Amino acid sequence: MISGPPVHRDPRSEHFFEAAARDQLAVRRCGECGHLHEPESRTCHSCGSATLGWTMVSGAAKLVSWAVVHHPPHPAFADQVPFPIGLVELAEGPWVHARVVDVPLENLRAGLPLAVAFVHPDDGDSYPVFTTGEQS
Amino acid sequence: MSGQGAAIAGLGITEVGKVYGRSATDFAADAVRRAAADAGIGVSDIDGLLVSSGLKRDVSITLQRVLGLRDLRLLTEMNAFGASAGAMVAHAAAAVTSGMADTVACVFADAPLKPKVSAGASYTGRSAKPLSGFASYLVASGITNANARYALATRRHMETFGTTSEQLGAIAVSQRAWAAHNPLATLREPLTLEEHQASRWIAEPLHLLDCCLVSNGGAAVIVTMADRARDLAQPPVNILGWGQGHPGQVNERNSDFGLRTGAAISGPTAFKMAGIQVADVDLLELYDCYTFTVLVTLEDYGFCAKGEGGAFVENGRTGPGGDLPVNTGGGQLSSFYLWGMTPLTEAVIQGRGQAGERQVAKRDVIVASGNGGVLDHHSTLVLGGAR
Repeated sequence: MISGPPVHRDPRSEHFFEAAARDQLAVRRCGECGHLHEPESRTCHSCGSATLGWTMVSGAAKLVSWAVVHHPPHPAFADQVPFPIGLVELAEGPWVHARVVDVPLENLRAGLPLAVAFVHPDDGDSYPVFTTGEQS
Repeated sequence: MSGQGAAIAGLGITEVGKVYGRSATDFAADAVRRAAADAGIGVSDIDGLLVSSGLKRDVSITLQRVLGLRDLRLLTEMNAFGASAGAMVAHAAAAVTSGMADTVACVFADAPLKPKVSAGASYTGRSAKPLSGFASYLVASGITNANARYALATRRHMETFGTTSEQLGAIAVSQRAWAAHNPLATLREPLTLEEHQASRWIAEPLHLLDCCLVSNGGAAVIVTMADRARDLAQPPVNILGWGQGHPGQVNERNSDFGLRTGAAISGPTAFKMAGIQVADVDLLELYDCYTFTVLVTLEDYGFCAKGEGGAFVENGRTGPGGDLPVNTGGGQLSSFYLWGMTPLTEAVIQGRGQAGERQVAKRDVIVASGNGGVLDHHSTLVLGGAR
C-alpha cells in the first residue's frame, strides 16, 4: 500500500491531478510548435511560446536515475522506507519525478522499462507513480 | 593587472557550528566587524555592503543600521543560492574597479541549527505552510529535499560513467585529512574509506559522510582596490577573474542533469578573464555540499575529462601531499557550512599564506567555487595569492 502526505491541486496543476484521478498522465504541449514538456513547464524551450496546453501521454517510460529514501521524510512514510524515487523519461520525451513502486531495489538500473500507475488516496488528490508492472 | 584590480583585504569568520542564541543578523554584524578589524580599517570606512543569507533569508539590507553605517554608496541583498558568495565578491570587485565604491564588505550568515534538533531536520524541516500543487506531489512522492535530488544527480553520473561510492568516499577522506590541520574545522578526526562506506544512508547513493555539515555562523570579506589593499593590515589576495553559470536544465530526453553543471560555463569565463589555464591553478576550494559536487566541478572546470572525475580523485591526489590540493580546510564536509563562504574563506587564508600546517606551498592561482540549487547555479572566483 503506497502512502504519503496528501496532494492538493492548485490552479496551475488542476488539469494534471484531474487526469490522474481518471488514471491518465497529462503533460504540457506547446500550442505553437507541439513540443511536449514536463507538467511543471511554463515556457516552451523549443520555440519560446508561453502558450502551453495539456495532452495525455501513454505512460510508457524508462528509468533515468533513482535514489533510495531511507529515512521517512514525513511521518506518513514511516512504514514505507526504504523506497525508491525516480527520474523517469516518458516515451514521448519529457522527464518527471515520481515514486517507483513494486520494483526490488536490486533491479533498479538506468533504462529500466516502466509504466505509469496511479495512487488514489482517501485523503487528497490522485497522483502518478511508476512500476515495471511485474509485481503489482 | 594586480595594481589596477580589486583585492580581498579583510576576512572575518565568527564562531561557527553549534552556536546558539544568536540570530543570523547577529552573526552577520559580527563577521563584518571582524573583517574590518582584520583589514585594519574602521567599520565606518565601509562604503559598500553586500549581504546574503541562508534558506530562511534572515539577513537583509537593514544590516546597514545594525552596523551604524552612514552614507553607503552600494547596498544590496544578493541571492544566487550557494553561488552567492562568489557573486557578491564579483560585484564588489566591479564596484571598486569602476569607482562606484571604495571599500565593500560582502557578508553571509545563517543560523539554521536549533538545540536538540538534528542537523538534517533543522535544515530541511517541513514548512509550517501546507504545500499544494506540484510541490505537494513531489513531497508525496518522497522527494522532499536537496538530499534526494543530489542523490538522483549522483546516481545518474554513476550509471553513465561508472563512478563509484568509493570514489566519492575518497573525496571525503582527503578533505578530512586536510581538516585535521585546520583549527576552525568541526570534524578533525581521521576518516577511513571503510568508515565512509559504513556511514548510514541519507539518500542512497549518498552516505552521511557524502553530505555537508550544517552550521550556525557568519563570514565576511572586505574588497577594495589592490593598490590600497597593499597599505592595509593583511597580505592582499587579488581578484583576478570571476564567472557565473546557470544552465537552466530542462527535464526531457538528452538532458545532462547530473552530468554537466553551471561550472562548465562559469569556469571558462573566470579563467579567461584571469588569463589562466587549468594547468596554472595551484589549489582549488570547491563548494562541496556533497562529495559529488566536488567531482563534477573538477570535470566541468576541465581538470579531467568528463566522466573521469572518479578515477581522478580516487588515489588521494586532492588531499595533503597530492598534486592538486582541493578543499584544504576540510570544506563543508568536515570544516563548517557557510555556503559559498566556506570555500572563499579558505581560499583567502591560503592565498595569504596563513594556513599554518595545512598551507599549500605554491599559491599563485587559487580557484574558489560556489554552487546552488541542484547543480543549477554556479559561481567561480580566480584569486591570486599574496607575494
